[in-house]
Amino acid sequence: MAADDSVGMVTLPATTLERVPQSAVSDVIQYFAPDIVTVPGPRNARAHAAVRDAAPATPVVHPQLGQDADRVQHYRYAADAGVHEAPNVAPPAETIDIVAVQSRDVLPQLHSELTTGERQTGSGAATFLVIPSVSVEWDPTNLTTTLPSGEELAAISVTLPEPVTVFAGGQPADYHHEWELPYKHTTVRVPIAGLGATERGDSQFAQYTCTSQGDVAAQAVSPSQFGLRALNGVGRATAKRLQKRGCRTMDDVRNLAVTELAQLPGIGRSTAEKIHAHADVVESGDPLVLTNKTPVKTRDDRPPLCLDIETDGLSPTIIWQFGVYDPATDQYQAFVEKRHPKNPKPVLEAFITWLVANHSDRTVITWNGYGFDYLYITEFLEQYLPEYTTAWDDIWTYDLYKWAVRDGNALLPGRTNKLDHVARALGYESAGTGLTGAQTAAAYQEFMRNPDRPHSEPEWDRHEAYCEDDCRALWHVYEAITDAPRRDTTDSGSGGAAGQQAGLTDF
Amino acid sequence: MSENPTPPDTNVDIDTDSIIDSFPRPDVSRNSDYIETIELPARAAKTVSTSDVLRPTLADPYPFDLFSHQAEALTALKAGDNVAVTTSTSSGKTHIYGLQIARNLLDAGVLNPDGTRATEQNETSTTLCVYPMKALTKDQHESLTTLYDDLGLDIRVQIYDGDTTGNRREIRERADVILTNFAGLNIYLEHHDKWSRFYSALDLVAIDESHTYTGIEGMHVAWILRRLKRVVDYWGGDPQYVLTSATIGNPKSHSEELIDEPVTVIDDDGSPHGPRDVVLWNPPPRDRTNDPTPGEASFDIEDDIEGASPDTDGERISERVPASVEAPKVFDHLTSNDIRTLLFCDSRKLTELSIQRADEHRRNNPRAYGRTTTTDREAYNAGLGRTTRHSREHRFKTGLLTGLATTSALELGIDIGSLDATVLMGYPGQRQSFWQRIGRAGREASRSLAVLVGDHRTLDQYVIDHPEYLLENDVEDAVVDTSNNAVFAMHVLAASDEIALDETDVGTFAEEDRLRAAVKMWREAGFIDGYLDAATHYAGPSRPQTRINLYGTDDTEYRLTLASDVDRDKWGLSDGLDVEPIDRTRAYRDYHEGAVRLHEGQQFEVVSVDEDRPQPIVELKPVDCNYYTRTQSKVNVLDAVSEKSREVNGFTLHFGRGTVLVHYHAYDQLYIGNGDPKRQAIPTGLPPILMDTQLCWVEVPEVVEDALVRKYSEYGVETGVDPEDADIAHLGYVAGLHAAEHATIQTAPLELRVDKNDLGGLATLVMDTHYSHPEYDDIADSISDSFEAATHALQQRTHELTGRTSSGWFIYDGIDGGLGFAHAIYDNFEALAERARDQLRDCRCGQPNGCPACTFDENCGNDNMPLLRASAIDVLDQLLGEDNHDALREYLPDEDYGGDRRPVVFYS
Repeated sequence: MAADDSVGMVTLPATTLERVPQSAVSDVIQYFAPDIVTVPGPRNARAHAAVRDAAPATPVVHPQLGQDADRVQHYRYAADAGVHEAPNVAPPAETIDIVAVQSRDVLPQLHSELTTGERQTGSGAATFLVIPSVSVEWDPTNLTTTLPSGEELAAISVTLPEPVTVFAGGQPADYHHEWELPYKHTTVRVPIAGLGATERGDSQFAQYTCTSQGDVAAQAVSPSQFGLRALNGVGRATAKRLQKRGCRTMDDVRNLAVTELAQLPGIGRSTAEKIHAHADVVESGDPLVLTNKTPVKTRDDRPPLCLDIETDGLSPTIIWQFGVYDPATDQYQAFVEKRHPKNPKPVLEAFITWLVANHSDRTVITWNGYGFDYLYITEFLEQYLPEYTTAWDDIWTYDLYKWAVRDGNALLPGRTNKLDHVARALGYESAGTGLTGAQTAAAYQEFMRNPDRPHSEPEWDRHEAYCEDDCRALWHVYEAITDAPRRDTTDSGSGGAAGQQAGLTDF
Repeated sequence: MSENPTPPDTNVDIDTDSIIDSFPRPDVSRNSDYIETIELPARAAKTVSTSDVLRPTLADPYPFDLFSHQAEALTALKAGDNVAVTTSTSSGKTHIYGLQIARNLLDAGVLNPDGTRATEQNETSTTLCVYPMKALTKDQHESLTTLYDDLGLDIRVQIYDGDTTGNRREIRERADVILTNFAGLNIYLEHHDKWSRFYSALDLVAIDESHTYTGIEGMHVAWILRRLKRVVDYWGGDPQYVLTSATIGNPKSHSEELIDEPVTVIDDDGSPHGPRDVVLWNPPPRDRTNDPTPGEASFDIEDDIEGASPDTDGERISERVPASVEAPKVFDHLTSNDIRTLLFCDSRKLTELSIQRADEHRRNNPRAYGRTTTTDREAYNAGLGRTTRHSREHRFKTGLLTGLATTSALELGIDIGSLDATVLMGYPGQRQSFWQRIGRAGREASRSLAVLVGDHRTLDQYVIDHPEYLLENDVEDAVVDTSNNAVFAMHVLAASDEIALDETDVGTFAEEDRLRAAVKMWREAGFIDGYLDAATHYAGPSRPQTRINLYGTDDTEYRLTLASDVDRDKWGLSDGLDVEPIDRTRAYRDYHEGAVRLHEGQQFEVVSVDEDRPQPIVELKPVDCNYYTRTQSKVNVLDAVSEKSREVNGFTLHFGRGTVLVHYHAYDQLYIGNGDPKRQAIPTGLPPILMDTQLCWVEVPEVVEDALVRKYSEYGVETGVDPEDADIAHLGYVAGLHAAEHATIQTAPLELRVDKNDLGGLATLVMDTHYSHPEYDDIADSISDSFEAATHALQQRTHELTGRTSSGWFIYDGIDGGLGFAHAIYDNFEALAERARDQLRDCRCGQPNGCPACTFDENCGNDNMPLLRASAIDVLDQLLGEDNHDALREYLPDEDYGGDRRPVVFYS
C-alpha cells in the first residue's frame, strides 16, 4: 500500500460474502490488493474458502474456524516481507502485529500470554487486535452503552507498550471511537474501529490503512461495486442473468458482442451498449463520455477553478478550509482558520472576498458540490455574510460528480464515486497524505475542543496537502473527462451523432 | 370550529321523545328502562365589538362580532403571549390565528393598509400552521382562504405536505402561511437551509387540535417542536405560538410541555349553542335461545331481541345486544328520518360494517321507513384514500349524504357543515372524547341530539348507571411525557443532523445530564461524531428523521396491494386500492393470512404477507363471504426489572421495565349477522412480537395469599373453566388475581387519560419467574421466534428457582418503549384499585366469574377464564386496607405454612 509503515487491510464480512458471487470477491481482492483480509462475523467455512480461493497469496483472518490451540491467529507486518503468520520468536520493535482471537472468551488467555511474554509483539509499532463478532450495545431507554469485554481490552492495552487498536467485527466499517475504558480505578483510552459485520443489513466491504501509530483510515464500499454489478446498468437481476449466460467477469462481458448482450431479457440495445462500454472503461482505465453535453460552461477560454472545502463534520459549524486550484496559473490558494475554530466568519470572508475580487468571471467546479460544498457555502454566507450572497450566486458553479455520475453523462473507471477512487483509477498520483475526510474533520474537532492546547493542533501542512490533493485530483478527473472519447449511445446506429461533437470545441 | 357560525340551513328542532317513540321495536319508548334522556341547557353568545379589538382595516370588513374568547385571545397575542384556546367545536378558533396572521402581515408592511401586497417577496413575517390530519389541513386551507377573501387581503396561504405536487420550492420561497403536519415537518427540518427565508421571518406557529398530541405522538410532537425551535432560532426567527384544543383537563401544562414555553389559556367560551338532549341508550338483554342458528341465517341481520323481556331490577343480565349491532339501528332510525347524523365507531372495520347493518335495518322495517334504497350514508375513516374521503366530506356537507359512520377521524374540526345528531357506538373511553364527539352536532338556536349506545362492558355500564360521572367531572388530562428517553434519543440524532449540537443546546434543547448522556451513547455507538464542547455531528445512516414514526416506535410499514391474479375489472378495482400503509402490530393483528377485512363495503381476504423485503407487502383479494375475522392473542412478560417500589398495606408495588411478548397466534371467523363464531382458533403462523416496555406490578403478601388460597380452594367451574381444568391448584385464588388485573385495567381510563387498549396485563402465581435474574441470561435474548420456547423457559426457571415466590399481576404499556401509563398507574394505584373493587362488588350480573360489565375483557388472551369476583374483591380490599388480616385469620393454617407447589400458570 501507499506508505511503508502501514498495512493495507480489506474486510469482507461473512454474511456479505454469502450474497455476492465469487467473481466479485476476486474483483475486490484484485482492486485493493490488500496485505491481509479479515472475514468478520459468525463462523463461516464457506466464506473463508471463498476468500482463500480469491486471494491464495494473502493471509485471511478468520479465527472463528480455529480449534482448541488455534483460537488466536497472529500476523506480523514488515516493510520488506509484507504480512506473514508470526513465528513464536521476539520480533523487531518496528513490527506491526495483527492479533485475532476467535471470540471474546479468548481475551483473558491472550492477556495472560502477553503478560507472561509467551506471546510477543513489536513494541515500537502498533498492535491491532481483531475480535470477529463483538459489537457495541446501546440502551436508549437508559441512555447507556456497553462495550462487551471492555475490561479485558483495557488490560491488554495497558500490558503492551505500543499503541493498541481494536477492530470490533460487529461494528460498521466506518466506525471509529476512542473509548475511555475503566481499568483498576483509572481509565484507559482504547481506539475501537469497526469491521462491518453488522446485523442491521447494511454490511459492506471496506478497505483500511493501518499505520504503525495505530491509526486506521477506513473506506467502506458497497459490495455491488465489484464484479459484474460494478457495471453501469447491471443490477442484481441482470448480474444473475449474465452469470447464467456464462459471464462471470468483466472480461467475459467485454468478450460478448453487444448484440448478444441485448438478447438477454430486460436489456435493451442502449443498455447493452452502455454495459459493454463500461466494461471497456473499467478494463482500460479510460473514461468515456456518453452524451454530447459539456460538463461546464466558461465565460472565456480559461479553465474552471477547482474547489474543495473541509468542515468539522457532516452538519458543519465551520468551513475551516477552502482550497482552490487554478489550472490557468497552476496556483493553489488555501484559506484555513487556525486561530478561531468557533468563529466561521473570518475564513469565510477571506475566501469570498478573494474569490469575488479576483475571479468573479470564472467558473468553479467541485466534486459533489450540490450535495455538500455549495450547499454549505451558501448557507454560511446567508448566516454570516448575507451581503455576499448575490455575488456568490453570480459565479458560475458546476458539479462534475453530478454531471458525470448522477446525470449519467460519463462512464468512469473508479469502483466508488469518491473523488480519490475515481482519480486513482484515472491514473492520478496521490500526494499520499494517508488522511480521509472523516479523519481531517475529527482532527479539527479536537482542535475546536482545545484550541489553546498545542498538542490538539492539527498538523496543518498535512491537512492542507490533503485539501490541495483533492483539488488537483478534481482537475485531473476534469481533464480526463474532457479528453475522453465520446460515444453517444442514445444516438448510436442513427449515424447522427458525429455532427454533435462540435461540443468539444467549447473546451 | 373553522368558521364563525354559519346560519343553520334549516331550523329543524329535534323532538327527542317522538323520535324515541317511533323507533320500530316495541320495547323502545321514552319510558323504557333502557333509555334515559338528559337535557343540557342552551348557552348564549358573549360577543365583543370587533372594532374594540382590531384595527379598522380588519374590523370593518369582518362580517361578525368577535366571541369574547376570540377577543381575549387576540388581545393576549398582541401582548406577546403564547396562547392556548380551549373552546368548543365551531367557536371560531381558526379565526383567532387567521386574524393574528393578518395583523402581523400589516404590521410588517408586507400588506398595504388596503390589503394589497406591498412587496412581492415576504422576508419579514411568515406563519406555520400544523394540523393532525391532511384532511383537516385541506379544510383549514379553505377556511383561511375564505377569510382573507372576505377581508380583501392578498395573503398567500399554501399547503405543503406529502400530497403537495407542483412547485414546492416556490411555496417555500413565497408563501406567507404554510400549512402542514408534524410527520411532514419532522422530515422537512432536515433541509432547513431550503426554508431559510420562511424560518428567518417566522412570527407565528399555530398548532391546531393540540389535544390530539398525547401519548407516543405527543412525545414526538414535543420533540419536533423543540427541533423546530433550534432551526428557527438558527435562521433568526422568534415565533409566538397559538394552540387550539378541545377541552382537556390540563390545557396549560399540556401546552407548555408541548412547546416548552409559558402559555396563557383562554377557556371561557363565548360561542352559543342550542339545547342538547343526551340519550343514554342501553341495548336490551340478548336472549341467546332466540338467536338464529348461525349456519342458516348468518348473513341476515335479525332483530334477535324482538320480544325479549325487559330486565327488571335484580335480574341477571349476562349479555346485552352489542352496541356494534344496536347503534347502527339507531343511526338508521335517525337518518331515515332525515336527521343529519354522525355515527362514531371504534374501528375502521366497524364504520363499514355499520353501514351494512343500517341498510339491513332499513330493509327489515319497510313499514317504518318505506322501501327507499338510496345510499345516503357512507363510511368515513382514515384508511380510505384521500379522494374517497374528500368526496364523502363534500357530499355530506352539501346534503347528498344524511349520515356518516366514522371513526374518531371526524372528531376533529373538519368542516362537514352542520348536523343535528350524533350516535356513539359505546362510550369512547374518555369524557374528553365524549364531549368532543357530541359537540359535533348542534346549531346556534336549534335543539340537537346525542345518543350514547352503551356496550355491555365495565365502562359503558358504569357511565350509563352513573351519568353524573360524565356530567359533573372535569375532562381528563392529556399526557405528554418528554421524559421518555427512547423517544428523546431518536430526536437527538435528528437534531444533530439538522444543526450540530453544542453547549448552547444545554438547557434549551434538553437538560444537561440527559443531553450529555444521549450524545455520549450515540457517539460510542457510532451514530454521532464529536463532543458538545465543540460540535456534535450526526454520523449514522443518512436521514435519521425518516426513522422517527410519530404513531409508534415500530417503523416498518406494510403496504397493502391487490394480489396479482385478481380480476380487477370484474371487481371494479381497476385503480387498485386507495389505502394507507399500516404498521407491524396492525399487520399482525388485522392482516394475517386468512384475515377478512371490509374496505369501502367490499370484503377482502389477506392471501399473503411478504415480510422478506424492505417494505413488506400484504396481498389482498376481494371476496364475498358471510363472516369476518377476529384475532386472538397470547401474552407473556419476561425479564422484568424493578426501578422503584413501595409498600401498600403489606403489598409491594413496583414500577420497572421488561419484555412483553405478544403473540397473535390464532383467529376466529365470526358471522357478520350476529357475531357468532363460524370457525375458531385457526392458527396465524405468525411469530410473536417482542416489546421492550414499561410495567407496573403488584406482589400479594404471603399471609393474604395463604388465606385466600384456602378460602377459595373449593372453587372450580365457577371460575368459568371447563370441568377438566377445574382441579388446577389454587384456581379460586388465581382467578381472583386475573379478575383483579382485568378490573384495574378496565377502570384505568376512569382515573387517567389512557386508552385501555394501550394497556395489557398478566396475572400469575409465580411473579419471580417473570423477573430478570442476575444468575440467568434474560429469556428474551435466548428465544427467537417461539412463544412456546418462552413459556418453556419460564417453566424451567420456576423449577430451578428455590424459595418462596409471590403471586400478583402485571400491567404494562402496550407499545414498544412504553408510554408512561404504567408509571401513572403505579403513582395512582390505590385510586384505581378502589374503582376496580367497587366495580366488582357492585355489578349486578350475579355470576361468580363476572360478566363483560365487571370482569370480562375483549382483549383477554385466555378467553376470560378463569375469573372470580369474590377473591378479587378480597385481594383488593386487603390492598386498600379496608379488611384487616383478622378477616383472613380463620382461613390461615395453624402452623407455618410452607405452601404447596404452585403451578406455573399465568393469565393475560
